[in-house]
Amino acid sequence: MSFNHIVIQNILRDKWTYISYFLSSVFSILVFFLFSVTAFHPMLKEMDTNSTLGITMILASFIVYIFSFVFIIYSLFAFLKKKTKSLGIFMITGASMKQVRKMVFRENMLIAGVAIITAIALGLIIAPLFLMVAKKVLQANSFGMYVPMQAIVLTVVLFSILFFIVSKFMTRFINKEEAVHLLKADVTQEKSIAPTPWKLILSLFVSSCLVLSLKVNMGWIESMGMIYYVALFISLLLVIYFIVTQGILLAILLLQKNPSYFQKTNMLFVSNLKTKGRSHAHVIYLLTILLLGVFVCTSVLYSSYYNVKENTEALYPYSYQYISLPKNTLEDEQKDITFIETTLSKAGNYDAYYSEFKTDEKRRIAFMSVSNYNSLGLQRDISLKKNEYYVVAGNEGVLPSTETIHEYLLTELHYAGLEKQNIFSTGLQNVYYIVPDAVYETINYPVYKVFAYELENWTEKIDVAKTLASGLSTDTDVHLIASKIELYNAEKFVKSIMFFIGFMLSLIFLSAAMSILYFYLQTSLEGEKKKYAGIQKIGLSVKEIASVVTKELAILIFIPFTFASMILFITMFGMHHYISMTFYQMTAIGVGVFLLLFVISFYFIRWGYLNKLVK
Amino acid sequence: MAETILNVKQLQKEYTGEITYKALKGIDFHLDENEFVAVMGPSGSGKTTFLNCISTIDRPTNGFITINSKSPYELNDEELAKFRRTELGFVFQDFNLVHTLTIEENILLPLALDSVNEKEMRRRLAEIANFLGIREILKKRTFEISGGQKQRVAIARAVIHEPSLLLADEPTGNLDSKSVNSVMTLFESINKTFNTAILMVTHDAYVASFAQRVIFIKDGVLYNEIHRGENKQQFYQEIMDTLTFLGGGRHEL
Repeated sequence: MSFNHIVIQNILRDKWTYISYFLSSVFSILVFFLFSVTAFHPMLKEMDTNSTLGITMILASFIVYIFSFVFIIYSLFAFLKKKTKSLGIFMITGASMKQVRKMVFRENMLIAGVAIITAIALGLIIAPLFLMVAKKVLQANSFGMYVPMQAIVLTVVLFSILFFIVSKFMTRFINKEEAVHLLKADVTQEKSIAPTPWKLILSLFVSSCLVLSLKVNMGWIESMGMIYYVALFISLLLVIYFIVTQGILLAILLLQKNPSYFQKTNMLFVSNLKTKGRSHAHVIYLLTILLLGVFVCTSVLYSSYYNVKENTEALYPYSYQYISLPKNTLEDEQKDITFIETTLSKAGNYDAYYSEFKTDEKRRIAFMSVSNYNSLGLQRDISLKKNEYYVVAGNEGVLPSTETIHEYLLTELHYAGLEKQNIFSTGLQNVYYIVPDAVYETINYPVYKVFAYELENWTEKIDVAKTLASGLSTDTDVHLIASKIELYNAEKFVKSIMFFIGFMLSLIFLSAAMSILYFYLQTSLEGEKKKYAGIQKIGLSVKEIASVVTKELAILIFIPFTFASMILFITMFGMHHYISMTFYQMTAIGVGVFLLLFVISFYFIRWGYLNKLVK
Repeated sequence: MAETILNVKQLQKEYTGEITYKALKGIDFHLDENEFVAVMGPSGSGKTTFLNCISTIDRPTNGFITINSKSPYELNDEELAKFRRTELGFVFQDFNLVHTLTIEENILLPLALDSVNEKEMRRRLAEIANFLGIREILKKRTFEISGGQKQRVAIARAVIHEPSLLLADEPTGNLDSKSVNSVMTLFESINKTFNTAILMVTHDAYVASFAQRVIFIKDGVLYNEIHRGENKQQFYQEIMDTLTFLGGGRHEL
């Protein structure tokens, strides 16, 4: 019987200990592989790595890799814990620590090898399907299947290295004393949660300081840059940790004090919670964090996808906007306008608006008469008294100066109001001052003529935009052209990919949360089985076992869910100045869908767990 | 004439598997109130199966059992659980204590499951803890006490709801000789003080000699029955002789 023989038999004859570790490894690798299949897709090659999209893609693969890393380490820890007792048998029969480590290392590498091959094989089967979904979501027809050599090589190399390092390093954590101790005693007391009110208060204090200074926009945040955000992130993680552990401790104390403690199955339930408080708290904490990840990914990315139309319209208000500059000849202008209008009339119904403004070209400060402003059609009509002026923004999201006008006019005018939304494409002018028609006549600056068009069902008229773009010269000295149709299409593609990435990330976090829960229940199953079999003998019905188990599972599944959604909504409430109603709606829908998913999986898990427990 | 607590008629138990094995081949037995009976027999004779059938852990293939004139096998899972924790008390070789609970909570468990009010619980707990001499360890956890103490706690849990029948499966199997003595004396005094009928399986002749009657099972049938006279020492000798005759158990003391 050679050493390798023992290694292989260890795995084959103890399949169930290894299978969950193996499966979660396969899962991590598979996710990474599918992600890199997308990332290395020939079509995405054309993408600029410096664009927002490129950076998002790189950042996302980085997160996926880091995540796989952490997840594999976690799985290995869970696996080693399950394995410690049988390792103790090897130790007590005289295997040296070195041999035990060598054995565990080889077992791990064997599993890793098989897991990598399985994941890639599985990935190659799933990839076409996956790319089809991607194609649908991204609305990119060229997103077909290809031979993902690069992705295969990258996955194999990265995960081989990862497993090698993890296995080599993790075997150091095998504790001889613990293993031998486990052999002797079945039941070891788990450390209970220590009350740490000061740490909780301190972490709360630090975090609220950090959050508050973000809210009032303190100067020092700028100077700290990244460090601030890392500090904020870590302090928030700590706050959540302390709230979870201390909250559970408090709940246990309250439940124990409760007069109904000695009634029915309460005693069993609470004492279970108490003895496993620490590990329960850790699982609840991990699930909360992962769920927060899921929620953030879905709501941020989904809602950015959802708002593309509104955002585009805010930037470029018109389907087509042609601005004729002073250098443009009347003849050319006429030709262009005829071309635009005939092209548009072929595409469907449209509204046309003609207007003009005068501008100080150096400072890009424009003046417009009230009647010209009102002829734009898209805004509320305004009326001004003789001595009043009105201010309109030139850039999206930037408030214009309301006072600069006084540097230009001889007559004294009074401020009458402000329109925060830019009326033409963002950045065309810095500000538009709307003045009474009589005052407008006295202003002596170059005149820009505006021809604006609004097309029906413009989101579907990308062909029109393309025809118009190809039919007109791109000479920016004579005219300026802007179309929300083209912008919308470009934006939509970027947002689709973001949506796709967000979807992938949330899927990963969600499955990770589920497999952590699975692992946890698996490891504790044997002990629980024995315990309940014992109590059943003295008179505990299956129904009563079910009631205890249901409560316990509900705690493990729904507390993280409730806590994560509470944090999400509190954060959103704190940011309510920056987010729109649709964001709330999207988030509420998203959380609702996840709730449904969780309720279903709760019943599923409960059913499976009970079946195994009382068999 | 004392009332019958347990009545067993033609009890049969078959284990079907690759080879069908008849563990019990038809046993008739009855136990009166305040009787203390020990069941003995060589390994594999079916004595534990016999106890498991009575304790409703195993379901018999044939025959019938009544405990307090009730037939437990006509009950559903929930009624059965209720039946176990009101009519029966159990003491196991491996103590079977719940390690997540404290000693006190372990003892109170059957009462808690029946939602007895807390005042009544406290009263019974104090009474039983005094009787068994385990007052000092009530707040401890199960892994903080010795084997003898664990068995006392298990006994306390088995009798706190005042069952009509106490079942014990090798209650001294995991104990040292000093603890054996004190645990058995306890069984004797429980039998006398609370008038609880006791049925105990053991392979130890010394332990069996605490009972008033010993029945012997061999190959799934009732083989013999002896009653205790005035002299315990003589009773012990009779048990040893029967065991020698049955083959096995001679070296056990």
